[in-house]
Amino acid sequence: MPFVPKKQAYNAKINEVVLGVGEKATAIGGQNVLPFHTFDAEIKNAPKIGVELTDFGMEEYTMPGEQAFYAGCESVVDMAKRAETMEGASFICLHFEGADPNGANKSVEECVKLAKDVSDATTMPLVIMGCKNVEKDTELFNKIAEALAGKNILVLSARDENYKTVGASAGLAYNQKVGAESAVDINLAKQLNTVMTQLGVSGQNIVMNIGSAAVGYGYEYVASTLDRIKDAALKQSDAMLQMPIMTPVSSDTWGVKEAIMPEADMPEWGNQEERGVEMEIATAAAVLAGGSDAVIMRHPAAIKAIAAMINALM
Amino acid sequence: MYQVTFRFENSDNEVKAFAAPDTTLLEAARAANVAIDAPCSGNGSCGKCRVKLLEGEIEGPQTGHITPEEYADGWRLSCASKIVSDVTILVPDIASAYQSRMKTADLSSGEEMAIFEKLQADVQAAGVPFANDFEEVLVQMEEPTLDDTLPDTERLIWGVKAAIECEDVVLPYYVVRKLAALLRKSNFAVKVVGELKDGVFHVYDAVPGDDAVPLAGCAIDIGTTTVSAVLMDLKSGKLLAKASSGNGQIRYGADVINRIIEQGKPGGVKRLQDAIIKETLVPIIAAMCQSANVPAKRILRMCIASNTTMNHLLLGVDANPVRMEPYIPTFFSWRNLKAGELGLPANPNARVLLAPNIGSYVGGDITAGTLASLIWDKDEFSLFIDLGTNGELVFGNRDFMMSCACSAGPAFEGGDISCGMRATDGAIEAVTIDKDTMRPTLKIVGGEGQKPVGLCGSGIIDVIAELYRTSIISAKGQFVREGARVLRDKHGMGRYVLAEAGESETGREIAITEVDIESFIRAKGAIFSAIHVMLASLDMDVSVLEHVYVAGGIGSGINMENAVRIGMLPDIDRSLFEYIGNSSLSGAYAMALSEAADEKVHELASNMTYMELSTHPGYMDEFVAACFLPHTDAALFPSSVQE
Repeated sequence: MPFVPKKQAYNAKINEVVLGVGEKATAIGGQNVLPFHTFDAEIKNAPKIGVELTDFGMEEYTMPGEQAFYAGCESVVDMAKRAETMEGASFICLHFEGADPNGANKSVEECVKLAKDVSDATTMPLVIMGCKNVEKDTELFNKIAEALAGKNILVLSARDENYKTVGASAGLAYNQKVGAESAVDINLAKQLNTVMTQLGVSGQNIVMNIGSAAVGYGYEYVASTLDRIKDAALKQSDAMLQMPIMTPVSSDTWGVKEAIMPEADMPEWGNQEERGVEMEIATAAAVLAGGSDAVIMRHPAAIKAIAAMINALM
Repeated sequence: MYQVTFRFENSDNEVKAFAAPDTTLLEAARAANVAIDAPCSGNGSCGKCRVKLLEGEIEGPQTGHITPEEYADGWRLSCASKIVSDVTILVPDIASAYQSRMKTADLSSGEEMAIFEKLQADVQAAGVPFANDFEEVLVQMEEPTLDDTLPDTERLIWGVKAAIECEDVVLPYYVVRKLAALLRKSNFAVKVVGELKDGVFHVYDAVPGDDAVPLAGCAIDIGTTTVSAVLMDLKSGKLLAKASSGNGQIRYGADVINRIIEQGKPGGVKRLQDAIIKETLVPIIAAMCQSANVPAKRILRMCIASNTTMNHLLLGVDANPVRMEPYIPTFFSWRNLKAGELGLPANPNARVLLAPNIGSYVGGDITAGTLASLIWDKDEFSLFIDLGTNGELVFGNRDFMMSCACSAGPAFEGGDISCGMRATDGAIEAVTIDKDTMRPTLKIVGGEGQKPVGLCGSGIIDVIAELYRTSIISAKGQFVREGARVLRDKHGMGRYVLAEAGESETGREIAITEVDIESFIRAKGAIFSAIHVMLASLDMDVSVLEHVYVAGGIGSGINMENAVRIGMLPDIDRSLFEYIGNSSLSGAYAMALSEAADEKVHELASNMTYMELSTHPGYMDEFVAACFLPHTDAALFPSSVQE
């Protein structure tokens, strides 16, 4: 008797969320099978990769591979245009690190202008990442959501502390997509989705950022949380966990010692750039295999490798 | 040394004490036996120990618990204030009230009494006879003469043997010492009280033949917060007196962990033992004996039911290992304790029965309570919940029982809540809120016209359930509706005003804040997740429950519908819930009265499986899932809806 593999498609599916407008609009989620289980059912949308650009611009991009890719760029807007040409990239993530009141403390107006300029100069969907200061982020997200009304951007992210204002402005007033960020805990993720939908934000407009870690830095928690969220969403049809997941990878991996220790200090570890790229690839591959529907990455070589992996598995 | 004078609100009493420079007011108050409510044991976190400086100087910062206006008015936190001159301090009534006017499940109402009597009848019907081996023997002896020279002791022994059938009679020191005078005063006609066991009559006491005082027994429930007791006739079981008071150890911390820490300090073992025995049990027993007109020495048998920490502190046994991994108490059961050894006012040879512990956080109060709950006598599954500073659960039927404890914290008793208080006069015990106007309607403990002082456990359950029902707060406990009653401080933290400054007894606003709601959600989450995890570990869920017995002082006022609405108790048919009052005291009463009940409780304890939740891998996850209104998995609470 021939072996007939049993197909394991589920009745429930992950919400499909479209980011951006026009030709370059991109959809994430929509599948009713576990990650990359194309043998169970067709996966409508392959996982997507976004390019992280910080508002500090070129000064933050010191690796030779990055310098080569962005060569000649004079502003973040230039870099964004270049990023659109990156192999495997589907969207751009503007990371407003400089807004942090404990850091450069850039004004909200300055940040809004940059977001507007980037948006005007590019066609790919935009994801806006804040500075992690709750109060500043709240104001920043409100203003950017207003300035980019109609562009269908994603703000990453509303948290427990500010979901009300961020959800109300970005999600309700300006009809943008809202990220829901929790700290690697299935229950907290679900609770935030629940209160956001109770607020009136449609579940179809929410993308989860369930938190992450670079591999080797407590990643086990991320792995089990991803597994359990996908299980609950698909096997138990839990509507409050069927939002697609977007994971910022580069912001974690480019902060760990494997990525920042110069070769001069640690010759036995080898080339710094290779190490950083490998950390980024390993982490992104892990979260995608676990169920993330999109990743935010930074190094062109890492993005190329992950794009190749996604193509090979789809 | 400085002189500290404590004055009390609503009282003319005054206590003077001396304090070394730089001691805090709270330390001075403790040394002088002045009760100041300090649930956090004086680390400045709870803000309950406020006192007013009348004269003199103290050094201390203005903490977040006291507004600048109050500070200017002389209000200080006693734990954060150092004495730097002679001072006079006013102790507000809210702080001293807990000891005298605490409302507990202490059989003071007809309703509580009916519950108590029903439980006792049920226990007997379940096959535990209320009988003991105590006997009263009337002995009429020949008076000695020059020809009849038997000593008093032998004369008495011969007399007892002539009156009842026994092989031997054992006389204790306590009786022999007073025998000469007693026999001669009563013309050699005495009543001998003793216990007949295996043919041996163990004498406890001898009294004049015409003495009509009944044989007395005493049952005591020592809770972390409150102590309640009854005095009963050992032969008929009739209650002779009842009493309750605050646990004198309260000033050393509101919860067991703080008490254990305090006990670990030099002299702490003795301080805590004295606080419970000398300051709490002795006055309670004395008061009961006085009201029943029974000399304390006539108490022949006692039973004490208390949690593991409380019985360790009572017996002066180091409780430190109880709170440290791997959580090993010194004893589970301790038989043959004598009242004389503990300095309790009773016959020195009276046995003090201890309801046995089964784990470091499931103690005798639960094993005694389990007897009273009768879950061991049913085929169907029951859950027994004792709500207190620690929440304890027992689940099972006649074939097996499982037990676990979870730390709910002091929130149920009003601790950790900014306007929280124990259920004394002025406590808001029930609340309803109008959905449209957002105005509250309050029910307050105390007489007619009593103004509100704060919120007690059942009131907090009501407020949160009502705020949630009327969609004023979200499932996370944050304020999402605006209105005249919803105010915010400068940090944006919301609060709901239950009584404005002008409407309260203290002249301060009574409100529940987002932080309060969050602590309470954690407390209710601890209870529900414990229920859930224990049932899940047996591969069951709440649908198997056919009875839920809720016990504890907080229980009587609980609105079960609201407790379900906030996700504290499982969403099952409300008629399955039954409030059983102070089950620990009920169990202790049965044990004091009955040999069979004592045996039964020990048997139950040895048959109960103890589950340590703190090391259970899934508990933390369940706990986070339960810290939501009503629960992250809304399917568990279909009947909890927002309007």
